[in-house]
Amino acid sequence: MLLLAVVLGHIVLISLQVNTPSGVRVFEGVTFGLFSEVQRGVARATGGVTHLWDGYVGLVSVEAENTELRRDVAQLQLRLQQERAIAQRVRSLEDLLEFRSDVVYSTVSARVIAGDATPYFRTVTIDRGTRDGVRRDSAVVSPEGVVGRVLSDPGPRAAKVQLLVDRSAAAGVLIERTRVAGTVKGDVAEGLLRMEYVSNLDDVRVGDRVVTSGVDGIYPKGFEVGEVDEVERGSGLYWAIRVRPNVAFSDLEDVLVVVPDATASTTAAGGE
Amino acid sequence: MKTAWVGLTLALALVLQTTVVPGLAGAGVPVDLVLVAVVLVAISSGSVGGLWVGTVGGLLQDALSGGVIGVGGLAKTLVGYAVGAFAVQFNVSRSWHQALVVLFASLVHAGCFVGLYSLLSDDGTITSYGGGVTQAVANAVVGGGVAMALGAAPAALTRRRLRRRRLTRRFGG
Repeated sequence: MLLLAVVLGHIVLISLQVNTPSGVRVFEGVTFGLFSEVQRGVARATGGVTHLWDGYVGLVSVEAENTELRRDVAQLQLRLQQERAIAQRVRSLEDLLEFRSDVVYSTVSARVIAGDATPYFRTVTIDRGTRDGVRRDSAVVSPEGVVGRVLSDPGPRAAKVQLLVDRSAAAGVLIERTRVAGTVKGDVAEGLLRMEYVSNLDDVRVGDRVVTSGVDGIYPKGFEVGEVDEVERGSGLYWAIRVRPNVAFSDLEDVLVVVPDATASTTAAGGE
Repeated sequence: MKTAWVGLTLALALVLQTTVVPGLAGAGVPVDLVLVAVVLVAISSGSVGGLWVGTVGGLLQDALSGGVIGVGGLAKTLVGYAVGAFAVQFNVSRSWHQALVVLFASLVHAGCFVGLYSLLSDDGTITSYGGGVTQAVANAVVGGGVAMALGAAPAALTRRRLRRRRLTRRFGG
């Protein structure tokens, strides 16, 4: 009898959510708000231990690594100069075409303090919320590329982020080389993204870079998503494309949240 | 007192699930610690206890994850109840028995969870069958380890107490 009552309760709970338009769920909000504080504390404690280890115990063979890194930095500085020269040339060409890239985004940095509570979904909790300007559907990015979006209404000091590899996540994208548009969707099982709605008449090759198109209204245009890993002829009129994301979703530590206000530091998509 | 311990166990499982397990999941170990906790508590407290701990654990997990609230709750309620009822009928006191129960409970849970989501969405299955089996095996390994540790803890404590008493008797204290 008790089992029946509890099962019925669950069914009512599920059907209420499925039938109504999505809004703030009180139970979810309270649980998330309380638990994110616990997660924040645990993340701080584990972060402290990791910092202690990395900063003192794990400093063996740092000198060799330093030498290698200095060499890398020198090479990167050289490449940066070349890229700057190219960017300068592009800017002057844009001026010639009277086409200006004037989209500048405000961002706040955030730390990942927890992962998903079930192994079936790919969400993380970050330590920034409405107090920092984070809103529902705010895009979350990292230097490597697009991370995901803020899921549901965030708490004052924490927000839940749906990663782009989550099964129900999607983003509007372009193949950078050919400007062919499509949609990428997450795929929990393999950690790759599926790119859909690309006609099999379009030119797509393995290794092509995939960037956001901005048409979904969530992700700003021009952010890197990943590169094409596999292209096969699909069953219908479209290619079956697999995209390997640039972001290492299992090792996320720090991210940037794109926020509406201009008080935070700014970054431009595809800018320098 | 027992309710407080169960609550503490669930909270610990949830904290570890959200802070430690994501790192392990990145290495290909998709453990569901809340499910392991629900099964072990259900084995020790019967069907009604299993039902409640499954309900609370599942709903909390749902609220913290990105899915529909109630799906995990329902799956864990059914698993908690079934495991509790099974444990009353059969002897599952050894740790490898408990690991086997965790294994089968994980498979049943994956079936309920994935099945419910398949009913609610037309976007394909939420995970592969291989993923469900991997998770069940990982849960069983963790469940067996925890059961073994819990079984060994009272004996270790008794041994320590006896050793201390012997030392006190020999050297005074």
